[in-house]
Amino acid sequence: MIGEFLSYGFVQRGLLAGSLVAVVCALLGVFLVLKRLSLIGDGLSHVCLTGVALGLLTQTSPVYMSIPVVLAASLGVLKIMEKVKIYGDAAIGIVSAAGLALGILITALAGGFNADLFGFLFGSILTVDKTEVFLCAALLCALLLFLLFFYRDLVAASFDEAFACTRGISVKRLNAALIVFTSVAVVLAFKVVGIFLISALIILPPVSALLLSRTFKQVLWLSCGLALASVWSGVYLSFVFNIPSGATIILINLLFLAGAFVCSRLGRGYTKKGKKYAD
Amino acid sequence: MPGVIEAQGLSFKYTRTLVLENISFCIEEGDYVGLIGPNGGGKTTLLKLVLGLEKGAGKIKLFGVPQADFKEWQKIGYLAQKSPVSQTRFPVSVEEVVLMGLCYDSAHKEPTLANLKEVYRALRQTRTRDLAKRIFSDLSVGQQQRVLLARALVSKPRLLILDEPSAAMDAASRDMFFDLLGELNQKHGVTILLITHDTGEVGKYISKFMYIDKELVFFGDKQAFCQSKKVAEKLGSFAQHTIDHLHNNGHCPLGCQCEGVHGGVGHYAAHGAEAAHGGSTAPLKEKADRPTAEKTDAKAGAGFSAAGADAPSPAKDESHNAPALQPNADDIAPTQTADGGQK
Repeated sequence: MIGEFLSYGFVQRGLLAGSLVAVVCALLGVFLVLKRLSLIGDGLSHVCLTGVALGLLTQTSPVYMSIPVVLAASLGVLKIMEKVKIYGDAAIGIVSAAGLALGILITALAGGFNADLFGFLFGSILTVDKTEVFLCAALLCALLLFLLFFYRDLVAASFDEAFACTRGISVKRLNAALIVFTSVAVVLAFKVVGIFLISALIILPPVSALLLSRTFKQVLWLSCGLALASVWSGVYLSFVFNIPSGATIILINLLFLAGAFVCSRLGRGYTKKGKKYAD
Repeated sequence: MPGVIEAQGLSFKYTRTLVLENISFCIEEGDYVGLIGPNGGGKTTLLKLVLGLEKGAGKIKLFGVPQADFKEWQKIGYLAQKSPVSQTRFPVSVEEVVLMGLCYDSAHKEPTLANLKEVYRALRQTRTRDLAKRIFSDLSVGQQQRVLLARALVSKPRLLILDEPSAAMDAASRDMFFDLLGELNQKHGVTILLITHDTGEVGKYISKFMYIDKELVFFGDKQAFCQSKKVAEKLGSFAQHTIDHLHNNGHCPLGCQCEGVHGGVGHYAAHGAEAAHGGSTAPLKEKADRPTAEKTDAKAGAGFSAAGADAPSPAKDESHNAPALQPNADDIAPTQTADGGQK
């Protein structure tokens, strides 16, 4: 069964793209969750709707059309946070609402919803083409290089932005880089899990990993592991039971989160007991 | 010799609200400056401007270098009022948090043995050595604050900037904390700029006061501070609390050894309060009379602070009760007011 499943080219491409995107989202998600910016994935995914609608309207690739639109929106979030002095979640909400409203308006002007748009909303991992796989690989490479060079700065800035500034770390540039990476990841991820579920791929694996890990590096590794496991098992189950892959991936991530929560509670109880006996 | 912090014409506003206006001062090496003022007076904003966390109008030099060109951030240790992660689980150990205080040549470089030695020196200084392997976010808020002080000290800074750091600490930790700051200042010559409302506790170590209330009201040594009319007028707005604090305790809450223990700020505060209360002076005068009797007990030595060790003689007390009831605007050295910004 598994052999047959892996023999299809579209399945191979889907799994590869899904794995690459999942790792990117899992890595970025750790920093975004700790910086309380995790909902940026949700906000930017709504902006994707504008890009997709523009792509469908102009008969160009919705993915390529979405990249500049979402990049512009992400920079808008940064500017609003900086200039208007409001919290990140409100800035994300503003851009998200604008993106969604524009997307709906353009879709209506283009003649309403159709099957193509439905595929983008709920994901269609098996329709990923070679160029998109290549883009996902390029994004992961760029992100790994970025983490390699700025890992300590990113951890310090995620922990305490103000103090990081007093160490000469350019927190604004790091934040901008993180958000730009997130924008591209969001666009490439919407075929894997769909526009509505992208933020779950950014939030769920890191949160599960945070519950189980004691060091920052453990969180990064575990987050990637859980994201990969969810994509592989999700795509396989969707193939076997003929169910939507995006929703299956997210539900598996929710199961992982529940498991992580139970494990962390048991572990904490054990530690408390140990302490009690030690006392 | 250039000052450690030189500020000229600092102003800052949030949209249309003016937070700070035309503030100039120079903090010299070895100074221990207590930055005080009412809530919303702009103290934290001033620290943020000095550290470059906010951008405003005016010029700032750090160690003689314009702030924009300043690169030697390891010379500055900073401790904020609140821990950055009080509720969230953040997966870094205490050791890693303190390591963040060191400036590395390269962001991805692993810490060396020398770096770790510095970390453990700082942890020992703040008596948090036994917490080194614990997860930072699992600690109590007071413990977190001591660890963050270790982070501020790990790079052996020449300037410490602290924003109400003792707010979450218990009494023992607070004593240890202020003793450590005093030692760093007196033995190692570390310059300290500290926002505090706890003037009684920390007053014994502070050498200068800076009073900010949107503008620089006062900057100078603490003796002059206690006798400053300008400060007293400002303190008048907190009248009741200030007077209780001053007179019921029977000694200067700033820990200064000013001759006019009960005639300085307390006296002027009373007058400020009178003005604030529209001339209804009776209760205030009643309170102002109280310490005269209580001072004798205080001088007897029971529970007096370090600052009160040199309690004034009865003769001095009498002499200072008189001016306490008759303020004299000339008793403030003009060079120590905010106008010039310098002492």
